[in-house]
Amino acid sequence: MLIPLNYTLRSLFVRKAATLLSVFGIGVTVAIFAGVLALQQGFTTMFTGHGRTDVAVFLRPGATGETDSQFSRERGMKLIKSLSAIEQTPNGPLASMETYSGVLRKRVDGGEVNVAFRGVQPATFAIRGDEIRILEGRKFDPGADEVIVGRRLVGRMQDCAVGDVVVINTTPFRVVGIFDSDGPFVSEIWTDTERALAVLDSYGPNRVIARLVPGTDVKALGELLEKDKEAPAKVMTERDFLESQTKMLGGILLGLGMALAVIMGVGAAFTAINTMLSAIASRTNEIGILLATGFRPIPIFIAFMLETLLLCVLGGVAGCLLVLPINGIETGTMNGQTFTEVAFAFRVTPIVIGAAIFFSVLLGMVGGLWPALRACRMTPTEALRRT
Amino acid sequence: MFKLVWQNLIAHPIRSVLTAASVCIAILLLCLLRSIVTTLDAGIQASSAARLIVMSSVSLFVDMPISYQQRIATVEGVTTIGKWQWFGGVYQDPSNFFAQFAVDPEHMFDMYPECELDQASRERFLATRNGCIIGKQLADKFKWKAGDKIPLTGALFPHPDGGAWDFEVCGVYTSKAANFDDRTMMFQWKYFEETLRAGGQDPGVGVYIFRTAPGANVERIMSEVVAMFANGPMSVRCAPESEFQRMFISMMGDIPMLLGWIGTAVFVALLLGCVNTMLMAGREQIHDVGIFKALGFSNAAAFRILIAQSMILCTLGGIAGIGLTLALKPMIATAIAAMFPVFLVETSTLVLAVVLTIFLGVAAGMIPAWRASRLKPVDALRAGA
Repeated sequence: MLIPLNYTLRSLFVRKAATLLSVFGIGVTVAIFAGVLALQQGFTTMFTGHGRTDVAVFLRPGATGETDSQFSRERGMKLIKSLSAIEQTPNGPLASMETYSGVLRKRVDGGEVNVAFRGVQPATFAIRGDEIRILEGRKFDPGADEVIVGRRLVGRMQDCAVGDVVVINTTPFRVVGIFDSDGPFVSEIWTDTERALAVLDSYGPNRVIARLVPGTDVKALGELLEKDKEAPAKVMTERDFLESQTKMLGGILLGLGMALAVIMGVGAAFTAINTMLSAIASRTNEIGILLATGFRPIPIFIAFMLETLLLCVLGGVAGCLLVLPINGIETGTMNGQTFTEVAFAFRVTPIVIGAAIFFSVLLGMVGGLWPALRACRMTPTEALRRT
Repeated sequence: MFKLVWQNLIAHPIRSVLTAASVCIAILLLCLLRSIVTTLDAGIQASSAARLIVMSSVSLFVDMPISYQQRIATVEGVTTIGKWQWFGGVYQDPSNFFAQFAVDPEHMFDMYPECELDQASRERFLATRNGCIIGKQLADKFKWKAGDKIPLTGALFPHPDGGAWDFEVCGVYTSKAANFDDRTMMFQWKYFEETLRAGGQDPGVGVYIFRTAPGANVERIMSEVVAMFANGPMSVRCAPESEFQRMFISMMGDIPMLLGWIGTAVFVALLLGCVNTMLMAGREQIHDVGIFKALGFSNAAAFRILIAQSMILCTLGGIAGIGLTLALKPMIATAIAAMFPVFLVETSTLVLAVVLTIFLGVAAGMIPAWRASRLKPVDALRAGA
């Protein structure tokens, strides 16, 4: 026969102060773990959640990203013209040569960071459609010294309001619009490809993007282009490309989260063991009575295991509650892969909550095992004799 | 009296060990997190005021023309000047990331006395066209030694032949200061430039680093350099090395701040755990305290017995935590090297750890000790029965 659940619940309730302190201690531990995970989630979903599969990214063979890829303009043109897989419109192929660079900008709260500075051709807007939404002002005019800035930069960086002037090398650019986008573009400054090439004294674009004819096999296209004599290129879907750009920082954050979880988890498990051992010590008599009234060791083991699990899961819930307020808070850090700053929000996703609860259950399992074993191994006479 | 305290601690060996161990873990984490942040500052502190850095005003993404070197050298007060260019090569797989620079080897060691390398290796480096020197950490990681060949795929600068660049290790340097990491590879500028030119490409320069004559007016030199290229083709900024280091740290954004927050939270979680344990210990000893008081022990003595237990546990844990920090230092340094190439544990961090340990011991023991001191012997004896 199992020990009624009520016994477990009441036991926790009787030791209010001890239960509350343990729950809080475990809660803070879980909150830290969940907080770092929320950071990682916010960062990776911003990249991976928004890459398109019908848009291909063309880089120079051997390049790991936009920063180390570069074509000459002629090679870019050749690529665009020669590929039948690129979708055609009456205005020409849906392909765009883009430049990518970082520009040092001052943060509003001090310090300087590299902000991504992208040059795009009009076709970029055609490919993106309503992925890029102008919130304020207008788009830049092709050929003019004008830029539009991503929404996440407004309020974080200086000179990012419509009408402000951003000097790049020796050329002043006027901010004519603010744009929004769900992907990483919201931390970028955009201008015309030609103007970007001119002011950065650069010989060619960093990548070509194109909308592909539906049903194109990107992998086969990639193998074909890798060996191309005239204009070799590395091709992948935008989704794969964006995913490849998150590996470094995403991995570091995940690693940090795991390392903290392991180290702090050991500490939290100790707390749980301590609490339960003390609980058992002060209830030796009770255990004796339970045994004397005929409860078998296994139900007693289960009851104490359950008590620890409950303690830890309550801690897990407390941790989740503690971490919820950070959901949506914006933060920024350098993406090691692109060397530019990305702004993103902490995101307490179901995955984060799930991992946090799982973590607390694990703590309960580890923390409860020993005390529960100890409790169920007592003999009735011994337990009753001890006061 | 001490014996009494000790007996109480070993009466619950498991609990005592677990409490001390969790203090140990928390102190370890705290030391590590703080060290990451202080090491960043140490880089700024250690940088030399005599070294100035010139880079494009746009960012490090953009190169300057190679011709700037001679023009900067003409500014009065500039003694030696050298080029640095980020190479961005890939060794086998991008995950093996480490920094590589093309440098002017003849000025390299005058410019950076922090970089320690024996004379024979220096000469070999100067004499070998495709020679390179690598930092100690890097050499250890990939088991490279002098004479080894390192093939790198030029992600940023593809080799004109289409193959890999081949570098020969001429020596392994060690760094003497926090502003110079020892997981970098430096190779001859000449090899870099000539190879690219053979492929019809003109290399640019990422940064120029120059030294100034003793007593030179640094402010004047900096503004002269900036004014020299104000109208292009590439405008520049010129700043002391410390300023440059500061820029790198600010590029990391909010990460250092987040680490600080995590450290605080760790401490709070630990404090709660310790308070909890000590409260439990206190409750179990109520009966004992009653007996002591009935025997004539003073209130202060009861207070001391309980607070001493807390202090001893925390101190033992703290010492173990500090010891573990120092013991694990090399391992941790390697683990975080991708993001933080230098990792130093400062004395101030250890002092802080000691202070926090003591604070923890007092804070955790305070409530049960205070309770014990106020107990009336009769109540205590009755409660424990």
